[in-house]
Amino acid sequence: MQSHERQVRHSTDFPGWCDDVTDSTGPARFARRALLKAAVLGSPGDQAAPPKDALLAKASGTLVYTVIGKILDISPHILVLDTDEGEQRFPLAASARAWRGGPVAPAALRQGDHAIVRRSQPGMPVVDRLWAEAGRVTGTIIERDGPATLLVDEGPAKGRRIVMIGAGAAGRIQVRFPRLEPGYLIDVIGLRHDGFLQALIPATAQPPYRAGRPPTPPLVNGHVPDPLGGTAVWHEPGEEPTGLLGIAYPALDPETSCEQAATTPVTCDGDLHAVDPHATGPGCVRLPYLSVGSMLRLRNDCSGRARMLPVTGCGATARLFCDRCVSCGTSQKGRIADLTMAAFVELGGNLEDGCFNATMMLGG
Amino acid sequence: MLGIRDLQVPLLACLLLGGCGGKAWRVLRDRSMSSGLGPTILFPWRLRRPIMIAMCVTELSLGLMLLGTVGRLGAGLPANAVRAGTAVFFLVAVGILYEVRQRRPDVGCGCFGELSDTPIGLRAIGRAGVLCVASVVSIGAPPLHMPSAPAQGGLWLVALAVELAVLAFLSPEVGQLLIRLGYSEPCELRRLPVARTLSALRASSQWRRYSGQVSADVPADVWREGCWRFVVFPGLAHGQRADVVFAVYLQPRKPPIRVAVLDEATLSPIQ
Repeated sequence: MQSHERQVRHSTDFPGWCDDVTDSTGPARFARRALLKAAVLGSPGDQAAPPKDALLAKASGTLVYTVIGKILDISPHILVLDTDEGEQRFPLAASARAWRGGPVAPAALRQGDHAIVRRSQPGMPVVDRLWAEAGRVTGTIIERDGPATLLVDEGPAKGRRIVMIGAGAAGRIQVRFPRLEPGYLIDVIGLRHDGFLQALIPATAQPPYRAGRPPTPPLVNGHVPDPLGGTAVWHEPGEEPTGLLGIAYPALDPETSCEQAATTPVTCDGDLHAVDPHATGPGCVRLPYLSVGSMLRLRNDCSGRARMLPVTGCGATARLFCDRCVSCGTSQKGRIADLTMAAFVELGGNLEDGCFNATMMLGG
Repeated sequence: MLGIRDLQVPLLACLLLGGCGGKAWRVLRDRSMSSGLGPTILFPWRLRRPIMIAMCVTELSLGLMLLGTVGRLGAGLPANAVRAGTAVFFLVAVGILYEVRQRRPDVGCGCFGELSDTPIGLRAIGRAGVLCVASVVSIGAPPLHMPSAPAQGGLWLVALAVELAVLAFLSPEVGQLLIRLGYSEPCELRRLPVARTLSALRASSQWRRYSGQVSADVPADVWREGCWRFVVFPGLAHGQRADVVFAVYLQPRKPPIRVAVLDEATLSPIQ
């Protein structure tokens, strides 16, 4: 397999206000947008503009249930994590469940593992769910090397990843993904390794169409429904901060989200199969155009938890999947939000499930 | 009552031909047979395409044969055989739809192509059941003929209207069809170039009123949320550095525009 460096699109032709999230001045500019919008339109249900501090607190990405860090030590009763706030100790609930490529006892997790854990009660130290080295690759297969190694294009915003399917997981994955061939979609969960993902669980069933030809979504009568029900999935942090609470939104405004980036030149055979989700039409769900910094209220319909979350990136690859989540009943629509790992766990989702049924309210 | 039996055959034929046409239209439009497979999702990959073709051919054949035997031509055994075949077809459909709902609750039935993407529910299964019953009822019905009296014609129309209403209630596709007939793109989904927003803004009375406070030709930030596009210009107001924020509604002509002039540091309103 050829060497593929991460491809991040840049163009000097972009105007200064383009939603280029790699722009170093971006975060502050995007954070101001919710405040400016509230000032000019008023916040929902209130004609007066809300105080700046209140809005900032509402939008701040404080993790209440979730902690992320590197495991320093773990026993059947105590977990020690190296987090951004330093070394932290967490008692483990007797019913605590852990995942490391599959269900394991918490004590089976290893020192040095990158872990994301969830508290049983907000703000309390006791932890009842743990995931170690969980990873996910979602995108278009652009190269296949032998029966078990795939190069997957995750879209213009995320670049490319190598996926290796071990012999033990091959049958399980091929039942749901019968066409592991260039041009077809894949969505798998597994263990992160240096430079590749070891695929272990299919996150969905393979769409029957080629990645570049998703079906046309149903038309919308009048306005797009608000709130809107659908499927929420998660993605690995990539270049984002690991604890970021946010949404990679599938329908960023095409006029300001830099989707007009120059086409990547074809440098290898795999590029011929790469699909730009922006070029495939509206995708499987018709979503209102938003921008980085827009605030959404997202509720996990299975756990009942809800949060205000900012749009932090482009989740256009989610447009290509027309699947429904069936974690608690069938979701009303396909993928409406691609959450950061921290946001997904914070809202009560289980990473190994891959999705939850969600209700999204625009502007909160 | 017998009139209801007489009407079933053309109704069934129309639905079968419509189903075949809907599937064919989707295949032609997507240039792929794999975009809306419906129940074929139950089968291994290599069998899906032939099964879909077989399903379409069966619908087309049954539809044409029902129409061919609706009159005196083919009356008797051929007509009854076709109608019995139609009943078996819909009976199998009930079983398959139930099975798909159990195993892949996220998949639509694909019965009428892209109109049938709604996940299979009890309504879709019930519709197949009703059509199966209609096929059974039609067995032994006489060749289609004009009503012998106005009263009989009225009765037929009432019976037909009731049956169509029941089928419409059981068909999630009807809602999608009605939307298509009267569709106009919602503003949240409409693509509108930034240049057009800026030219609409510069032609507005709000711009003329606030342009004196704007200190740059190029906006500092432009973004969109649903039906509104926000344009921020750096400015000066009462000697303070300010953000002049315009919210422009995304409609092609004379969009409503709102304005706020905010202190750049505190974001508190200046005016």
